[in-house]
Amino acid sequence: MEVTMDPLFLAWSYFRRRKLQQCSDICTKILQENPYDQAAWSLKTRAMSEMVYIDEVEVDEEGIAEMMLDESSIAQVARPGTSLRLPGTSQGGGPTPAIRPMTQSGRPITGFVRPSTQSGRPGTMEQAIKTPRTASTARPVTSASGRFIRLGTASMITNPDGPFINLSRLNLAKYSQKPNMSRTLFEYIFHHENDVKNALDLAAQATEHAQFKDWWWKVQLGKCYYRLGLYREAEKQFRSALNHQEVVDTYLYLAKVYQRIDQPVTALNLFKQGLDHFPGEVTLLTGIARIHEEMNNISSATEYYKDVLKQDNTHVEAIACIGSNHFYTDQPEIALRFYRRLLQMGVYNCQLYNNLGLCCFYAQQYDMTLSSFERALALAGNDEEQADVWYNIGHVAVGIGDLTMAYQCFKLALAFNNDHAEAYNNLAVLELRKGRIDQSKAFLQTAASLAPHMYEPHFNLSILSEKIGDLQSSYTAAQKSENAFPEHVDTQQLLKQLQQHFAEL
Amino acid sequence: MPEVKTIFKEVLPKQQLSMEDVSTMVLCKPKLLPLKSVTLEKLEKMQIEAQEAVRQQELAMKEQ
Repeated sequence: MEVTMDPLFLAWSYFRRRKLQQCSDICTKILQENPYDQAAWSLKTRAMSEMVYIDEVEVDEEGIAEMMLDESSIAQVARPGTSLRLPGTSQGGGPTPAIRPMTQSGRPITGFVRPSTQSGRPGTMEQAIKTPRTASTARPVTSASGRFIRLGTASMITNPDGPFINLSRLNLAKYSQKPNMSRTLFEYIFHHENDVKNALDLAAQATEHAQFKDWWWKVQLGKCYYRLGLYREAEKQFRSALNHQEVVDTYLYLAKVYQRIDQPVTALNLFKQGLDHFPGEVTLLTGIARIHEEMNNISSATEYYKDVLKQDNTHVEAIACIGSNHFYTDQPEIALRFYRRLLQMGVYNCQLYNNLGLCCFYAQQYDMTLSSFERALALAGNDEEQADVWYNIGHVAVGIGDLTMAYQCFKLALAFNNDHAEAYNNLAVLELRKGRIDQSKAFLQTAASLAPHMYEPHFNLSILSEKIGDLQSSYTAAQKSENAFPEHVDTQQLLKQLQQHFAEL
Repeated sequence: MPEVKTIFKEVLPKQQLSMEDVSTMVLCKPKLLPLKSVTLEKLEKMQIEAQEAVRQQELAMKEQ
């Protein structure tokens, strides 16, 4: 006779081994036989929320509406060093845009992307609305219409029998009285269904049932308020939770609130407070480093990333950020060591091989350069990555003086990603070398309209227009270049020359 | 050697002696690609899977 395992035990075993789909299937069977089996029900909610679980600390997608219709800001123009929105104002001694490329928001590109750093904050409404045109930086209109909703609806569609729990029929008051079920139910509503309003209802009733003494429910309430955009309420809940129990996560959530309402200095203080209670905590140190990085204070960000590495020497984000910083401060051979370390740790993707290729080339280790790029191309997951790799190969070609190959590489970059502004700019420079002025001008204009935050196309356009005698366009382009990069000496000289010209007329 | 003279000509600057101050066009810089965080990778994976599932369902609807 075959001995069968107890199905619930088997489901638990699957859950522990993270075979979530099997776990959920078994629970479904148990529930079909006995719809009132609370253990199976609770396990199924846990498995289903685990399937779509993403670290809430990391998730932060700011929509256009949040950004532009911002009610939490106190001053229109913040003092230097107190705001994340004026990245250029702090004096961090970081590399200038002449050396390190900028993101759209005017920050130097970083070595690591998280959901929140994916596309920086654009400066004006006009820019914000323009941005979604390029496929890679599409931004939702509000965070409510962002990924959360899309994922939520997707989870409904994939289930032909309708949702597992019908939230509108649920008696939240009843469940909030049962502490052993209410938590899994909350996580299911919050993560799987993305129904923040119902989650908030449940959390409010549960915290009431716990006589406002349970820190966990307070943190959940704070998370709901944060998602709803009620930042001050969220702050209150997190603060109150911290009074009950010191937890690292609560510090991170609270700091996230402060970052969202643009109070980086308060967030920094909070992190330091957290470090007093949890000395050497890696997530808190990383938080400090990220804020410094966003405020364009690269050197102190690097210091904190080094502290992170002292605690945890396999921290990918810290290694990548320090590596990219070394690359852009003219030490590619040291950057190469950091990226090689990542490779040893088992990171294996297109980005890493691309970076290795660039570091090898600039550290004069030519034997490895092209093979790294070949691997990067082989590992590229989408067209944008492919375009970026070809763009960088173009630079290698420029470096070895093979301009024909460079031309082809930049063309390929454009074939993969038609919005690659840098490739347009570099192609324009090569076209001008061949003497094709009109073509070059067209490319520069395209680059300038695609990426108004870069100074290169404006500056090049200005030089080109000045050469062909179109002083007025040259002047306007130079002004745009000055806006994008005020410290650029060549632009200033050009502007001065043009002003002299106009004065003589 | 007369034939060497025809190959190499001396280069004399026509406009100015110093070539340092002439502003030239600038190339955009090489771009290190940022690595993706685990959360971001998971988000992207989930989104692709969701889109795929929707596409499959739509195909199934059409066939019916």
